[in-house]
Amino acid sequence: MTSTWLVILSLAIALGAPVTYALLLRMPLVRNHPEGYVVAFAVAAVLAGLAVARARTRRWPSWAALALTSLLLIGGAWFNWVGAQVPRTPTALRVGERAPDFTLADAAGRSASLADYRGQKPVVLIFYRGYW
Amino acid sequence: MAELQGLGAALSEAERAGVEILAVSPDPNERSQKLADGLRLRYRFLSDRDLAVARRYGLVHPRGGPNGEDVPRPATVVVDRDGVVRWVSVSNNFQVRPDPAEVLRAVRAL
Repeated sequence: MTSTWLVILSLAIALGAPVTYALLLRMPLVRNHPEGYVVAFAVAAVLAGLAVARARTRRWPSWAALALTSLLLIGGAWFNWVGAQVPRTPTALRVGERAPDFTLADAAGRSASLADYRGQKPVVLIFYRGYW
Repeated sequence: MAELQGLGAALSEAERAGVEILAVSPDPNERSQKLADGLRLRYRFLSDRDLAVARRYGLVHPRGGPNGEDVPRPATVVVDRDGVVRWVSVSNNFQVRPDPAEVLRAVRAL
């Protein structure tokens, strides 16, 4: 493969991976394997490296592709394995023990307690960060 | 939003099975509730402004927010009719959520 085609392929993978990830976020398989985009950046960086090695004339596109994909690889790896990590501190939840009761306001301002549902129906509690 | 969509596809089936889904976040949740109602998801969004409930559950990620504020750790808890915890999933990477199929299985196993 020529250097030019390697550069194009490298950039297509590097830019396509995050877009694909964002579009398919609803699929648990994609959502729960965020390391997939890091792997894609690594493949793109390897292809850009090959492009650099094969470039005869006009070397700057392959060097630019290598720089970009390397930055994405470092940034993506940092985000996935450092930035997005949540400290593994123990929770107050034990299977088989009673869930701590609480009362909170819902969006309409009515108050809701976990105890309201006792003897009525099971509850799925979803804690989420909220701003995205 | 991604969060909501994830839950959405997931739990409408559980909803039909007679389960209450309480989504707890520090947001005021009016927009979330409107969105969910629009999608007929019938979640009940609860506002845990000061993270009091997240704290009681041991689900606070200190300074984990974009501006260094405390945020909840993403978690899903299945509580049975008697108020007893039957299934817990706490994520160690905030991009990752439990597979909705797993949550459904936990609910059906009650």
